[in-house]
Amino acid sequence: MRQKVMFVMLALAMILLVRNLYTISMLPDEVNQGQIFRIIFFHLPAAIAAMLGSAVALVASVMFLWKRNFKYDALAVAVTEVGLAFLAVNLVTGSIWAHVIWGVWWAWDPRLTSALICWILYAGYLILRQSLEEPTQRATFAAVYSIFAFTDVPIVYFSIRWWRTIHPQPVFFSKNGSFPPDWSRALLINMVAIFLLYALLTMVRLRQEQTQREIDYLRRTVHAI
Amino acid sequence: MRSVTLTPFIAILLQAAYDPIREEIGRLRRNFQGLIWGFVAAWVILLLYTLMLTARERKIRREMERLKSMVEETEKK
Repeated sequence: MRQKVMFVMLALAMILLVRNLYTISMLPDEVNQGQIFRIIFFHLPAAIAAMLGSAVALVASVMFLWKRNFKYDALAVAVTEVGLAFLAVNLVTGSIWAHVIWGVWWAWDPRLTSALICWILYAGYLILRQSLEEPTQRATFAAVYSIFAFTDVPIVYFSIRWWRTIHPQPVFFSKNGSFPPDWSRALLINMVAIFLLYALLTMVRLRQEQTQREIDYLRRTVHAI
Repeated sequence: MRSVTLTPFIAILLQAAYDPIREEIGRLRRNFQGLIWGFVAAWVILLLYTLMLTARERKIRREMERLKSMVEETEKK
């Protein structure tokens, strides 16, 4: 059943993305940026997916510390790892956009810097997990670290409001947003497709984490016999 | 005398170098190439991560089968 749900999710995400690619290519160019503005259709959904993932990781980490149930730890590591891939998509597409529009690959701007710090923090979470052998200790340390890492997420989100920044101001989910309705529709469809992909990859990673736990149990059984 | 004969050529060269239409075409081309690279980069990152997941899945399955057979053998003994 779970396998079927995953196949349906993958098919739906692919159909939406391929169909939307045509819609996006048919949109008129943005007046100041030209064609490169279309990168937002991947850049923004990847960022939102990664941020939502880190929020889920935060909740799962708190739940693990509270309930001491390893399924929350598995969920936290699954969403964090997938989120890291999506945040990488966000950073790389943003860098390519910056090279075309600003003429530089990178600027130490508050938004860019805080997003990079966020990526490094969550990469540190995965490294921390690798370095600890004992499962309970690993899950506890990782949960505490994940809660600490999440403190950077609001900074990433609000950085363009709190500080002067060269990063464009929000055009979507904002009062001053200037996104035309047909562009917003295309962006929403891409967002749904990217969220589906995120959920699908998280499910795969979660299953791997559960199997890994079974492997650990079997190893202990073999040693006990 | 030589400078007089060269002047039109230099003028033509300068005109060619600052051709606004060619410059605009170049800008549009760079813009389009950036867009393509952006899309390619996004998909390559996701594809690489998916391949990483697939490789890990295979490794986990092999390990699981190995351990199961070990448990069965130990129980038989």
